Amino acid sequence: MPSVALFDPCYMAALRPADAECARHVLRSLGDDVTLIDGRCCGQPAFNSGYRNEARTAGREVLKAARPFETVVTLSGSCTSMVRHYLPVLWDGDRRDAAQRIAGRFRDFVSYVANHPNVGNLGLKLEGVVAYHDSCHGRRELGITSDALGLLARIQGLEVRRLAYEEECCGFGGSFAVKLPEISVAMMTTKLDDAVLTGAKVLVSGDFSCLAHLEAGARGLGLKLETWTFPELLLRALE
Amino acid sequence: MSAYRERAAREIRAERPAATVTPIMRKLVADAEAMLGRGPEDARARAAAARMYAVDHLEELHEQMEANLERRRVHYHRAADAAEAVAIMRRILAGSKRIAKSKSMVAEEVGLTHALRADGMDVLETDIGEYVVDLEGRGPSHITAPALHLNRARIREIFERTGASFEDDDPVKLSRYVRDVVGSYFRDCDAAITGTNIAIASSGRLGIVENEGNVSLGVSHPRLHVAITGLEKVVADEDAALAILEVLAPSATAQPLTSFTHFLAGPMPGQERHVVFVDNGRSRVVHDERYREVLKCIRCGACMNACPVYRTAGGLSYGSPYMGPIGAVVSPLLWPDGRYADLPMASSLCGRCTEVCPVGIPLHRMLLDLRADGVADGQLGSRTEKLAWLAWAEAFRGATRARALSAFARVGLRNGSRIVRSHGDGDDPRLFPEPSELHDRTLLQAATAERTAAVLIPAADVAPHELPALFAFRARDLGVTVVESIDPRDGDLSLTATAAIANTGSVLLTGEQAARRPILGAKRVVVRVSASTLVRFPHEVAPFLGGDDALLLTGASRTADIEKQIVRGIHGAEEMVVVLGP
Repeated sequence: MPSVALFDPCYMAALRPADAECARHVLRSLGDDVTLIDGRCCGQPAFNSGYRNEARTAGREVLKAARPFETVVTLSGSCTSMVRHYLPVLWDGDRRDAAQRIAGRFRDFVSYVANHPNVGNLGLKLEGVVAYHDSCHGRRELGITSDALGLLARIQGLEVRRLAYEEECCGFGGSFAVKLPEISVAMMTTKLDDAVLTGAKVLVSGDFSCLAHLEAGARGLGLKLETWTFPELLLRALE
Repeated sequence: MSAYRERAAREIRAERPAATVTPIMRKLVADAEAMLGRGPEDARARAAAARMYAVDHLEELHEQMEANLERRRVHYHRAADAAEAVAIMRRILAGSKRIAKSKSMVAEEVGLTHALRADGMDVLETDIGEYVVDLEGRGPSHITAPALHLNRARIREIFERTGASFEDDDPVKLSRYVRDVVGSYFRDCDAAITGTNIAIASSGRLGIVENEGNVSLGVSHPRLHVAITGLEKVVADEDAALAILEVLAPSATAQPLTSFTHFLAGPMPGQERHVVFVDNGRSRVVHDERYREVLKCIRCGACMNACPVYRTAGGLSYGSPYMGPIGAVVSPLLWPDGRYADLPMASSLCGRCTEVCPVGIPLHRMLLDLRADGVADGQLGSRTEKLAWLAWAEAFRGATRARALSAFARVGLRNGSRIVRSHGDGDDPRLFPEPSELHDRTLLQAATAERTAAVLIPAADVAPHELPALFAFRARDLGVTVVESIDPRDGDLSLTATAAIANTGSVLLTGEQAARRPILGAKRVVVRVSASTLVRFPHEVAPFLGGDDALLLTGASRTADIEKQIVRGIHGAEEMVVVLGP
């Protein structure tokens, strides 16, 4: 049984605490032995705000916890991208190389499952309609759009609808949503318009950060639109 | 609240730029991608390499440029900063009273128009978009479409304030009105100021692109022509220039090439020509490993066209001559005094700018570096924010504390959003839901019919492969008539092309044939093209460019400065006919 770590990012522990359990269940169904890494932050909030010392302090803990594992499955595309592409750059020389070696083992949940040798044996089945939200980090930094769509296509009975302008950002952007809320909310409204036009009432994405922002907006605006993560959707498709 | 946020919030409240800008840009970005897609596959890589070479050999190319300009009797100037640029321009223009100016971002950067007017000179913005924003008084909101933030009704109002009157706000009438104002100004003016897109070191020629014909007027009518441009705009040779041209217009305006592409050699008899290269911080940036690649920029505007933050808050909210992602990078680099320190925050870091940049500038990564610089040198972030991040980092040093923080955030976000809402902050509708439960399955089955506007791409005719047929196909797309023979008409100007580019429908005129005055004055331009001189792509036309003046014509003059609606026939003939012979 391959041993993998499952990294539950800090903001997901805060906003969608059930998700790690769903993901653990899915990974076990794939035959993996799962160890949870939680209570850590990849450092992205500080990094994106320009506070690199603070980002390094937080990110170091993630790398330390990940050191014993060959694969670290991460529940958020955005955190995966932070660890893989940016975190090692916060060190120099040998330490950067060491950080790079650990960071390279991080995989986002969606592409890990989509490319798992046992994914074909899961027998995924779920009746209904979802719309797919392609996150910027997933699309451009990790290039996992086709993995995500491929995984959705494996779920028997599920109709997947695409947003007309799926390459556009939902307006979250972490500290961006806090520092420039007027712009962030306007972008969110544009994205919600797009999502509503699909007719689907459930929006799925590999990045919960976008989903949290969109769901908060949908609720506030009184739209009937729920956001589901891949672990939750796959768990339901396994039932 | 940061200065940028204040301006952006005001723009959104007062103007809601996204309503106008987003639909225009969605179409433009899709069209631009299609236009790039029909060019050679390696166009972007070659353009990036041409620009990188220039950045790596800046001083060497300038030495070559200076020598070659002098050989052509063109005066070379180099200004260390904005003040010196203005001083040099004043010296060159001393004695001129009426000056026709076409678009130049560097002129905006150094505040040229203001300075010259303060000296009592009469300066007319001759680009239609610039003419509009000059009258409006708030400056350009986009680097290639300065009046993008104004719709036709507003533009009509602005014109009517100056005493003009219109039956309606038809962009054709509004555009032609400016054409007439500009046309009559050129009959009696002393000097023209233009920009320069590409300064070609190996030949000392100036590559300038334009659509309206106002640059053509400027370089051929007044006795004095001054080009002002950035220090980085020099490139090695014609191959490099063509590599850049192959991506510039497709990225900027989804055109194959602009209507006019000038390769300006020496001045005409009796004419004087100067080029002013403005440094203003560029030679400092070139030594900074993290940012030097930003000097590859060709000012196409693709990054702002694609940027959701730009689309939402508009170009004026940046408060800088350079807006959008490139503006957020280049403004704090050119003005390191802190006035633009908050612009790097004007991005959700979605990476779309980096994706569309035709010369491969990693814009969103530079924004991240600039944020870190701002925090490190104290220009960005308050004391409170610094302390908050320190405390945050401490909390994430240990897993137990971090778990507690996550739990605290869970409660805080949920209740916080309710408290904020109950205090009536209606601008931010976000309300965080209960987090812990799994969703009900029912909404999976509650979908209604899809109303996504089907993006129907009309089945385009497949472009023919053979060069003559491809040329005719592309030229017709541009409104050019392609025939085998023609009956001459009064007012015809008959020219012979040195070569023609099939995939862009362009004709190349060189030497005497490239004289702008007759082309601008003709009722109809008839160009003879021999099929044996056809090449497929712009970069293959280099051997035909010769060493003298050259002009690539790609369709008749046009503008899209009002709501991006195309109006053909601005300065110069509305009608162009190509006689395609063996």
